[in-house]
This record gives sequence, structure tokens and C-alpha cells, in this order.
Amino acid sequence: MKKIPYYPGCTLKTTGKNFEDSAIATAKVLGLKLLEIDRWNCCGTVTSLTQDDLIHHIASVRNFIRVQEMNERGEVDDYRLLTLCSMCYNTLKSVSNVMQERPDDLDKINNFMDREEDYKGGVTVVHLLELIREMGFDEIKSKVKKSLGKLKVSPYYGCTLLRPKEVALDDPEVPTIMEDLLNAIGVDVIDSPKKSMCCGSYQTVRNPKTVVRLGYEIIESARKRGAEALVTSCPLCAFNLDDRQKEIKLEHPDFERMPVFYFTQLTALAFGLKKDVNNFDLNFTDPRPLLKKKKI
Amino acid sequence: MAKEKNIMEKIAHANQSVTKGIDPKDVKHWAKIYIMGKVYEVPADLTIMQAMEYAGYRFIHSCGCRAGFCGACSTIYRMKGEYKLQTAMACQTRVECGMYLVQLPFSPAEKPIYSVTKEPYEGNSFLKYFPEIARCVSCNTCTKACPQDLEVMDYVQAALRGDFQRVAELSFDCIQCGMCALRCPAEIVQYNVSQFGRVMYGRNGFPENKALKKVVKATEKGEYKKDFKNLLGLNMKQSKEAYKKQQATKAKFLKGGKK
Amino acid sequence: MSTKTEYKLIGGYPQDMRNSIKKVEATRKKRAGKVLEGMSLKEREEVLNQCHPDFRPGGKRKIGLGLNKGNIAPNEVADLIEAHPLVDPKKINLKKIDHDVDLLIIGGGLAGTAAALLANDGGVKTDKILLVNKLRHGDSNSIMAQGGTQVADAPEDSPPIHYLDAFGGGHFTNKPEVLKALIEEAPHSLKWLVDLGVLFDRTEDGDFVRLAGGGTSRKRMHACKDYTGMEEVRVLRDEFRNREIPTLEYCPVIELLTDPTTKKVTGAVIWEMETGDYKVIRAKATIMATGGFGRLHVRGFPTTNHYGATNDGVVLAYRAGAKLRDLDTVQYHPTGAAYPQQIIGLLLTEKLRSMGAQPVNVDGEAFVYPLEPRDVEASALIKECYVKNKGVPTPTGMQGVWLDTPLIDVINGKGTIKDSFPGMVRMFERFGVDMVKDPVLVFPTLHYQNGGIETDPLANSSIDGLFVAGEVSGGVHGKNRLMGNSTLDCIVFGRISGRTAAKYLKKNKTAGKLSFKHLERYEKLLKDAKIKTNRKAPMVLPDYRGKEALERMLDIFN
Repeated sequence: MKKIPYYPGCTLKTTGKNFEDSAIATAKVLGLKLLEIDRWNCCGTVTSLTQDDLIHHIASVRNFIRVQEMNERGEVDDYRLLTLCSMCYNTLKSVSNVMQERPDDLDKINNFMDREEDYKGGVTVVHLLELIREMGFDEIKSKVKKSLGKLKVSPYYGCTLLRPKEVALDDPEVPTIMEDLLNAIGVDVIDSPKKSMCCGSYQTVRNPKTVVRLGYEIIESARKRGAEALVTSCPLCAFNLDDRQKEIKLEHPDFERMPVFYFTQLTALAFGLKKDVNNFDLNFTDPRPLLKKKKI
Repeated sequence: MAKEKNIMEKIAHANQSVTKGIDPKDVKHWAKIYIMGKVYEVPADLTIMQAMEYAGYRFIHSCGCRAGFCGACSTIYRMKGEYKLQTAMACQTRVECGMYLVQLPFSPAEKPIYSVTKEPYEGNSFLKYFPEIARCVSCNTCTKACPQDLEVMDYVQAALRGDFQRVAELSFDCIQCGMCALRCPAEIVQYNVSQFGRVMYGRNGFPENKALKKVVKATEKGEYKKDFKNLLGLNMKQSKEAYKKQQATKAKFLKGGKK
Repeated sequence: MSTKTEYKLIGGYPQDMRNSIKKVEATRKKRAGKVLEGMSLKEREEVLNQCHPDFRPGGKRKIGLGLNKGNIAPNEVADLIEAHPLVDPKKINLKKIDHDVDLLIIGGGLAGTAAALLANDGGVKTDKILLVNKLRHGDSNSIMAQGGTQVADAPEDSPPIHYLDAFGGGHFTNKPEVLKALIEEAPHSLKWLVDLGVLFDRTEDGDFVRLAGGGTSRKRMHACKDYTGMEEVRVLRDEFRNREIPTLEYCPVIELLTDPTTKKVTGAVIWEMETGDYKVIRAKATIMATGGFGRLHVRGFPTTNHYGATNDGVVLAYRAGAKLRDLDTVQYHPTGAAYPQQIIGLLLTEKLRSMGAQPVNVDGEAFVYPLEPRDVEASALIKECYVKNKGVPTPTGMQGVWLDTPLIDVINGKGTIKDSFPGMVRMFERFGVDMVKDPVLVFPTLHYQNGGIETDPLANSSIDGLFVAGEVSGGVHGKNRLMGNSTLDCIVFGRISGRTAAKYLKKNKTAGKLSFKHLERYEKLLKDAKIKTNRKAPMVLPDYRGKEALERMLDIFN
């Protein structure tokens, strides 16, 4: 089994446990062992857009040093850092790029972090979706044990997997990576024009009304085209699109709740893995009635 | 008897430097330190606290237990010729030649109000009470400032992901001196964050202790009343006998592993 | 000006001490797991008479005035009792009341903090409570307690067994009904602490780790690594702050106030150290929880106590007419640090011996059962140094014996010392000594005030309106306290005093008048006893200023 350094991020340890468990189980089927880096710290959450705001890059660099150490100790087979959460992916990858492009800034950061070994550069950040694409979707297809054919699902990318283009894991305008995966596991994929519209992100803290409005648009746009569920790779999108359905319902009394899956929950289902890796209890809208209806 | 009286005198004499002030006549080695910028010559074998007293300070703050437990004597210093700003507990740090020091008797800190007994044991309560922990940029300044050498940043990170146990374990030796909070660029009050983590973990992290529950119940029911009545009714001789008998059972009960 | 160290230190020790350590190492394996037998009651008595500071002639005298006239007390305590007030009462205006409360609590260690919480539980409103501290809230002897808290909750244990251990340990001089109250309330108190979140040491499966202590016949010590008191204080103080109970810091009480006719305690005068002015507090009930007296350095001993442990509560209460008891005995902890200079006197917890460390002499020989009651153990150490001359001399001229700490890892497995005594390992490390590898040098140190203000099982003092909790009280431990019964005392009687005060306040709705009438009476007693002195009390804080600096002090601002 190939060992790869894995960065979970804060949310996956609490409300996103359903994402983490199903992802680890999925990766195992694909011959990947996710080794959690020790003493990891928050990625920084949002990349600072100010070029010289170096202090906000430290968090990510510190995590890269952990990856470097794991490699020096020979514990892993990969110099890349794997993430699941889209937000962590975006932040870590941005900083990784900056450190690659601006060696003077890296020097400054190394100098500041006097208690750590120097980060020598070179750690790249990779999302599980990218690794799956790398293996080939035929490989995925060959692992499928259970048909999900009757499930009509619309992929939701949001912002952070695709923007800015320097960190995008696919064509930012016409992404297909999620569709390809869903097709490989036999889901009925429903396309929606709002699949990469912003969910409202951190507006959810101060300005939930905006988030409710956006969520309603995104969900209804997918539903209109026949979707029964959404699929995402971001705990924040999941929160905004799923938990906020309570508030959507208050504004639109005839609104019907729609489950939101993590893509790894669907792969786990398709691979016929034990049900507990999916932790459906943690999905805000319980997807089990839908799955039952579809006899999955 | 004269000789025995001597014992107490000898002991008192040997301890004079600790129990009374120090006589410069007894000092063999000196250090030059700077207290708030002013130079003082002090005995080199002393802690910062003892040295300040030697120099003439009578503490009315910045001094508590004098043994490294209370966190009252937070001190910052720089060594001549070095850029690093260091932290210390004055009672636990020996003076060194060329120390420029000042004490920080108080750190203004926001402490949120919560109820340990009512607060649900959920990971996101850290962020509920301490939203500023999301401002942590992992600069690690808190860790570097900690005179107890705790991994402060690591426990703030653990708080961010709601890991009560890790917060409690990493922060257990915290003496709440406030250095981390004073140095933090994100203005987090780390020692209050970990205090919350520890009480929550202490209350919720373990199964109810059955043995304790049993004895509490037995006490409430008055099950020991008779035994106590008997014990309190014994005369001196009987008490001594009973005590001797009980002490003789020691060997049987005190044997065995610790953990 | 030389800055060189005279002695070349090897791992923190000079060569001659190193030589002795070699001998300790040579016998370690043979001693592991084997301890000498405990002394008989008769042997204990002998060594106490021969070597205990309390039993040696000198150092004490009869109190010359008041209710306890004729009782023996250490000179240092008697000096404070036979003294005038700090401030001329005429200079204090009692008409302007700065704080008008139901309950005044003096002292914010474990006892005072627990009292505030239980008083609040008992119906006293938070804004009608005031906790005043000489230093900061929590700066106390409580916060320094290392070893643990005794509670008889193990299946093979019971409260009556705990009672008898403590009664025998106190040489059968404890006030029985007060001791009974301590033991009976112990399990509830432990449960209360756990419910508030105190992190006691646990086994893998979540059960309490229970250890033995000196004089205990069962394992009942509940520790929080070697930060037991600190953890207990932190948690209670956090709860106190969550309830937003008012508190004042750096405000020592310099005098109590009493009603001129009923003699009831009706408040206090505090002195704000930072600014130098005074404030008047009127209170319907007052709890005295000021702690002990280690900073009096009785018989010239160093102390484990905190900076403010100066006996203030005993002095103030005695002036107001409260009865005292058992002042003649002082607890010397057998194992204070004797080396290096910077930490002389600081506590090296009894838990070290609970977990296998043995006292060993200069030749590497064990000479005493490691867990005798504290007074007996301390006497045996003094005897080894000053009668048998088998002590280890230090560069500053002290004598000490080794406490063979590396034995703990030999017996319990590698890493035990670091896990169980992080605070102590850290302290020695700071001064260049590695207690995991090398033994540490110890000598008895002044640790605890066994006696104090006499109380009953409900924490009443002998005067109206004054309640007492913690080390400042006398009677519960008799003439010697066992390990782990002090934090217990503070928590239990803190709780009881809070409860009692709350009940008292339901019946007593007014404070009474504020006066210094008791001081007039006290001055007359001093005069009648023909005590002529310039001494003033309470001490408030000790003075360690250097001689040179003191000689040149000018008091310009006063």
C-alpha cells in the first residue's frame, strides 16, 4: 500500500468526520494509506491576497515542514501532501505555489520560525480527486461492487477547487473531474449551471441571509434539472448548502430538503464498504430515506 | 543537652541566607544585572527574585508562591548583545550577567463566562467562547514565550479542532502567568482557552467512578455512623491499640503496582 | 567583579557531592523494592524527643495574654500575638463604608474560594460576597500543594479507616468531632471537584490512581501529577470567575472590626498595597481563610510556604477575641530541597516517597522507613545529619540526605518520574540537576501550621460572626497533619464554612456596629500583662531585602 502524507484540517475532525472516514476507506480500496501528519496545525483557512503578508503563510509552511520530516524519516512514499477539504486544499496549494515562486519570502519565513528545521521547498499539494484521476477512472470502475445507477446527483464544485486558476484542479470554466468520477461509479449525473457558483462561504457567520439566498438558488437549479441530491468536497459548502436548509425552509415554506453527499460517501457506497464509514448521522439532511427509496 | 541545643542553632545558621537577607560579606561571586535599565551588582547564586530583593526591592506584587506554581512573577529579559526577548519566572530563574529585565505583574485578559456543569461537551464550544482562536496564524510565538516550555500553539490548534483531551494534556502544566497572551499577535488568551478545555475534559472525559459513587451514597445513608460512634467512644489506650492494629494491615494494602 | 563559579559542577553537583552520589548508585539495585521496617510507637517517640524542632528545648514560650494565656507557642508566633496594631485606630474613619456586603471572605486559596462557591449555593447573592486577597486570587499555599488529596473511596478503604489513620498520625490530639467532619465530607468533596472538572490522575480505564502517603494504611491519595493544589485552585477559581463573584487583590486585611457591645465581628479594614490607602468593609458574616505561617521561619528553618504565609489571620482573630489551639506544634516537611541555593526549602512532595524514592545517607545507606508520619520522618533525617553525622554537606554549609529519586523509575518503569513529577523535574532542570538520573538533596523544611483558630465541626470560631477554614484553623490535624489532609481540609471546611455562613446570614440580617473596641481591650491586656514592646502585627509580608540596601533606605514619601 502506498503511504501518502495526509492533512485532515480542523473541520474533518469534528463535523466533517463523515467526510474523513469515508475518504480514508475509499483510499484504502484504491491502495492508498493516508498517514496523518503529526502536530499539524490549521492551514490558515483563507489565503491572504496581500502579497507581502507573510505571517499568514506560516501556518501552511509549518505543515509542509511536517511532510518534509516524514519523508526524512522515511515514513511515507510521497512528497505530496494530500487534502480532502476544498478550503484547506486551496490555502495550502496557494502557499505552496508562493513558496516555490518567491524564494526570498521563504527565507524570511524560515528565519522567523527559528525553532523549526528550514522548509526546503518542493512539497506540492494534491486533492484526493486529483489522485483518483491520476489512477484512471477505469481503475475506479473496476472496484465498483454496487450499482448506484438510479441515484440522480448533481456535482457542486463551489469556488475553492477551481479559483484562482493557479490552484485549480481542473478547467475552471468547464470542470469535469467530479462528473468523471460519478460516471465511473455509475451515478446518474445531473449537470447544473450553478455548480461553481459561490455558496456564500464565510458570509455564513455574519450574513446568513445571503447564504440562504444562494443556497436556495443552487439547490433549486439542480432540482429543476432532476437532481435528488448534491455532492461536494467541502465541509463549508456542505454546511451552507445542507444545514442552512433549515433557514431556507423558513423563507420558502414549500421548499423540500435535499441531501448533500461528500463524494467519498458515494464511492464508499459503490465500493460496498461498511456503512459506518459514511456516518450518515452527521449529514444535516439525512440521506438514508432517499437511499432506501432507491434501494441502495 | 548543650550539644543538642546546638543542632537547632546549626540548622538556623546554615539557613540564614534564605530566611533573612543576605550579608554581602558572605558573597563570593557577583553578577551585574539591569533592573528596568539600572545596573545592580547582586550575588550570582540567586534567582532573579532573590537578586531583586537583595538590590532593595520589597515585593508588593510580582511575587507569590516563590516556587514556580502561581505564575505571579512573570519577567521578561534580554541578554546584552542578543536580539532574543526571553521570558522567565523570577523565582525559578538564576540571574546571569548582562540581564536586562522587567517584571509584568498583570496581564489584562478577557475571560468568557460559561457554566461547566451545563455546557454541552461539543468540539465547537471552543470557537463559541473564544472565536479569536480562528485568528491563530501558527506563528508559534506563544510556545516560545512559555516559561513552562509547553506546546502552547499546539493546544490552541487542538482547541480549533475541538480536541478537549489534547488541549488538557498539552496544557496541564500551565501556571497561567499570561506570557503567551501578552506575546500573541492574534490577541488570543491562550491560558483561558486551555482552562476551559481542561474543566470540560475533566468533567466529561471519564466514566463516572463507581467506587466514589458508592462511598458517597453510603455516607448519605449514614452507613458509617456506627463505626464513627465506636471510634469516637474509645479512650486513649483503646485508640492507640486500634491504630496499631490498623497500621499493621499496611503491608497487605500498600503493596502492588501503581498504575 | 568575578562571575566565575567557584565549584566546577558536574551535572549540577560539585565533586564531593558527586563522590557521595557514586555510593548511592552502588547500593541502588540492592535497595530497589526493599524498604526498612517502620518504627514502633516507642521508637517514634524517642526520635521525636531527640531531634524534632518542636521537642527540643528553646524556641518557644508561653503566650502572655488573652484567652490562650499560658499556652505554648513558637517565639515567632508569640511575638506577633504580643504586639500592637499596625495602625492607630484613631486614624481610621469607620463612618465611610467602602464595601457593604453580607459575607466577607479573607483569603483566596482553596478554602476561601470553596467557601465563596458554597455560600453562593446556599443562597448568598454573588454581589453580596466579597473575597479579599493579600496577593492575587489563588496565590496561596494551596496552589503549591503537590502530593494529593486524601479520600477513602477505594473498595478496601472506608471513612472510619481514614479517620483512625489521621487520628493516630496526629498523635491522638486531633479534635475528634472536627476530624470526623473532615473525613465524612471528603467523598462528597471529591465528587464536587470532579464534577467541576478537576483532572485527577487516572488509570488507562478511567479509574482514579490512588497512592499511599505517610501514615496512611490504605492507598487513598488522589493526585494531579505533582500539581494537585494548582489544578484544584485553577478549577475552583475558574468556577468562581464564571459566577462573577467580586474579589479584590493586593488588599491585605490589617484589622478586623467588631460591634462594641455584642463583640460580633462586623467587617474589616483592608490596606490597598499598590496605592497605600485603606478601605472599610462592613460584613454580616466573615470567613477567615488566610492560611499558614511558614514565612515566620520558625527556629530559622527555610519554608515551603508562599510569600504571604505570615500568620495574619491568627493574630487578627485573637485580637478580636477568638480562641486558638495547638499553636505549639509546627509541621516540618521531611523533604525540602537542600541544594542548590536557589531552591532551598522548596517542597519535594511526599509522593516521591510514595512511589519508591528512599532517603539515603552520605554513604549510600538507607536509614529510615520512607513513609513514617512527617514529624517522625523529619526527625530521623535531622538525626542522620546532626547526631550520626552521616549527612551530605553542601557548598553553603547546609547538611542534607539524599532522596534517591532514580529509584522511582527502577521500580515503576522508565519515564515514571517525568510523567508523575513534571513540575519538579522542570524545577531541578532549571538549576542544572537531572532528578531522573541523580538523587536530590533534602532536609526538613517548615511546612505547615498544625494549630490555629479553634473551630467546631461547622467551622464556627468561638466568636460571633467569624467562621474559619483551612490552615488558619486549629484542631482538625491535632499536633501533626498527614499528607493529603491539608488540601482536603481546605476544600471540606471551605465548603462547610460557606454553608454555615449562608445559614447564619438567613437569621442575622444586620451586620452590627463597626468599631475597634476589641483593640482597646487588647491594649489593656498587653498593659496588664506588662508586655512592653514596639512590635506591630500582622506582618503582612516578610522582608528579604539585602542588608546593604536596607542600611541606605530613606522613607521620604511617608
